[in-house]
Amino acid sequence: MAEVKVKKEVDATDVENRIKELCRQFPQGITDQVIQNDLPHLEPQQRAMAINKLLSLGQLELMRNSSGLLYRLKDAQHGSKMKGSDNQEKLVYQIIEDAGNKGIWSREIRFKSNLPLTEINKILKNLESKKLIKAVKSVAASKKKVYMLYNLQPDRSVTGGAWYSDQDFESEFVEVLNQQCYKFLQSKAEAARDSKQSPMVQRNSSFASSHEVWKYICELGISKVELSMEDIETILNTLIFDGKVEMTVIAAKEGTVGSVDGYMKLYRGVNAIIPPTGLVKTPCGLCPVFDDCHDGGEISPSTCIYMSEWLDF
Amino acid sequence: MTSQEVRLCGLLLREHFGEVVEKVGTHLLRSGSQNLRTILHETDVSLKLVKKSLCVLVQHGLCLYRPGRKGPGSPTEYDTSSHLILRILRYPRYIYTAKTLYGDTGELIVEELLQRGHMTLSSTVKSVADRLTQNMEEGRSMDYSEVSSAFSKLVETHFLQRCPPAAAAAVKDSSSPAAGGPPAVPGTPSTPVSAAPPTPESFPDCYKVPDVKLFGRGKRQLASEDGEEQRSAKRARMDSSAHGDEGIYWQVNFERFHQHFRDQAIISAVANKLDQTSSEIVRTMLRMSEVTTSPTAACTKPLSANEIFRSLPVGYNIGRPILDQYLTLLVDDPMEFVGKAGESGGGMFVVNLHKSLANLARATLESAVQERFGSRSARIFRLLLRKRHLEQKQVEDFAMIPAKEAKDMLYTLLSQNLVQLQEVPKTPDYAPSRTFYLYTVNQLPTARMLLQNCFKTVANLIERRLFETKESKRLLEKSQRIEAILASLQASGAEPEQLTEVEEMITAPEKQQLDSLKLHVNKLDSAENQVDETIFLLESYVNSTIASS
Repeated sequence: MAEVKVKKEVDATDVENRIKELCRQFPQGITDQVIQNDLPHLEPQQRAMAINKLLSLGQLELMRNSSGLLYRLKDAQHGSKMKGSDNQEKLVYQIIEDAGNKGIWSREIRFKSNLPLTEINKILKNLESKKLIKAVKSVAASKKKVYMLYNLQPDRSVTGGAWYSDQDFESEFVEVLNQQCYKFLQSKAEAARDSKQSPMVQRNSSFASSHEVWKYICELGISKVELSMEDIETILNTLIFDGKVEMTVIAAKEGTVGSVDGYMKLYRGVNAIIPPTGLVKTPCGLCPVFDDCHDGGEISPSTCIYMSEWLDF
Repeated sequence: MTSQEVRLCGLLLREHFGEVVEKVGTHLLRSGSQNLRTILHETDVSLKLVKKSLCVLVQHGLCLYRPGRKGPGSPTEYDTSSHLILRILRYPRYIYTAKTLYGDTGELIVEELLQRGHMTLSSTVKSVADRLTQNMEEGRSMDYSEVSSAFSKLVETHFLQRCPPAAAAAVKDSSSPAAGGPPAVPGTPSTPVSAAPPTPESFPDCYKVPDVKLFGRGKRQLASEDGEEQRSAKRARMDSSAHGDEGIYWQVNFERFHQHFRDQAIISAVANKLDQTSSEIVRTMLRMSEVTTSPTAACTKPLSANEIFRSLPVGYNIGRPILDQYLTLLVDDPMEFVGKAGESGGGMFVVNLHKSLANLARATLESAVQERFGSRSARIFRLLLRKRHLEQKQVEDFAMIPAKEAKDMLYTLLSQNLVQLQEVPKTPDYAPSRTFYLYTVNQLPTARMLLQNCFKTVANLIERRLFETKESKRLLEKSQRIEAILASLQASGAEPEQLTEVEEMITAPEKQQLDSLKLHVNKLDSAENQVDETIFLLESYVNSTIASS
């Protein structure tokens, strides 16, 4: 492609190819100095022309770092993909690319590009049809579409991680995992209790690290999606808030399975300290109209139907 | 004093002492301490009745009196408090505790004392022995000395105590209360000494059993249909001989019972959380410090592991190393029932009474939410208890509940005042878009609210019970009449045909109705006792928190 365009300037093409070659060698980018060293005979003017050409063709990109300007080869792919696009499209594409896998909202594209919204919508549609970008619905706001490059995996903050499918929270899935984790911890606690060992050993063997739980859940194969250890830990946290599980953190040797930053989270199933309290064993403790109940009122203890049902139970 | 408390107290007073006492009692509850004249004026009850009801209340320790606030010579003022009256609700539990600890004798002693307020040792022993004899086979009887030794045991463990002498002096001559004894009224007591009512504990020999010359055995009453009250009144007149303990009256030490209930609650919580053996260790620790620790202390006196080891019950085969392990486990437990106070003597350990109560109260709140709003709401509730302040979004994320449901649950909890909302504005105009809305749970106010709900619930249950009995009043009277006829026929040795004939006067549907009524009343009664357990836990928590802050 490039060859076709620069046929009449054979000399210049050589230079360009040489620069591209250099860039390929140093994928992190090259400075002007590197080009100078490589092609010492080249006039600065010629060099500048060649670079400018490559830049305008979108084959090179210019970056700035602490040591000065850097040239880097642009992905050959988009070079080809962006073929036939105008500058505006390229600009929008650039903005979307910068947003990474977090995606960007069309209004923010407008702010960044200073293009009218109608224009942007047209461009976005265009790019989408070329399969260069895709629109992803965010879980945070179901009506808000964010755009990102087609080949990117959306970030957790956009999809909501393993717990969402098509922006719907899969509460059943969570509940199932919650129950399975609890079952695992409880069976472990029971086994420890039945082992008839000294109390300390009993307690210690009732603990399971989050890694163990994770392995158990993975082997169970209930989940279609890949779950990370953090995912399992969030599930285990809900169990803590259910009052069914207790967590302790212990120091672990670096490199032990399941340890993170030198510590390990251990979980164990525990029993509640009291049975359901006396109040909730009466109909009044659960009554939805408790506050409206008065002697001689429309709702009164003497005529209460909940009470009658309970008494005849 | 909330209206719920007053309502419940009124119902309790009416059940136990009748409507006049209810009127005077609730009036005192509503309007605080008052003198006789004001009570008379504001209640529209005749002087005689007011005096008698005050007498009844004082006799049962439900009412305090003290010299007037306007200096010497001003009229005595009467005062009552709901926590005194609410003890009536707990009577069955006191009696049951006495039964489990000291058998039938203990049960009857506590029951007698609760029924009559104050009694002397000798009269208690006599009536208990008589009642026990009544239930024994023909030809056997209960020895007084056995009963009085049980009495001494109850005093030794501080379950009974002497009435403070000042109070005793004032009510001495009115010891037969409800039966309409002589109209002795504590209206003009002896010269007032101090403004504050004396506590029983402040007298040195409050747990000293006097030497009583009491010999003999329980007598069998022949006319068994005599009412309890009449019998005791009769006996009071008959037994005029001196036993050496006149003027020394005894009463039930409610505080001690409450302490026992609290210890039991902690022990059973440990048993649920850890295991039986740990609860046994905690029981031993609590028993060791029973007398040395004051009832309001935040934790027991430190006990060394050696001491605990020596005091463990003999039947329990716990070796020293195992005990140490158990103690470490108890200390490590996040509920913090047991704490470590030092390293000397193999480690010094304390039972954290206040913390345990706070944990129990928290569990009570959680259980109330769980049962009423479901386990997911309980998850949110626990989450807020743990993390203090959270925004709605954070609640959804931590609890892993879909936004819509979580919102619904949070708002329901908020509307029931179980969860509070704290606004933190970024700008002074409180614009919603620039304000943080933080949800939080305040344990103490929530416990107080739940306590009020408990009072209302008990009042409702009593109300319903009264309603149920009122509905089938005719039927109940009929069955009582028929039972009386049957008894008298049996006594006169009637033919079996005659008996069945009388029995058949209650028709099958009526019998069914009676049975279901009995079932209902029993259910309501047991529910009252269950709610009282919740009340007890919450009340102890609230009191201990007030005491410690």
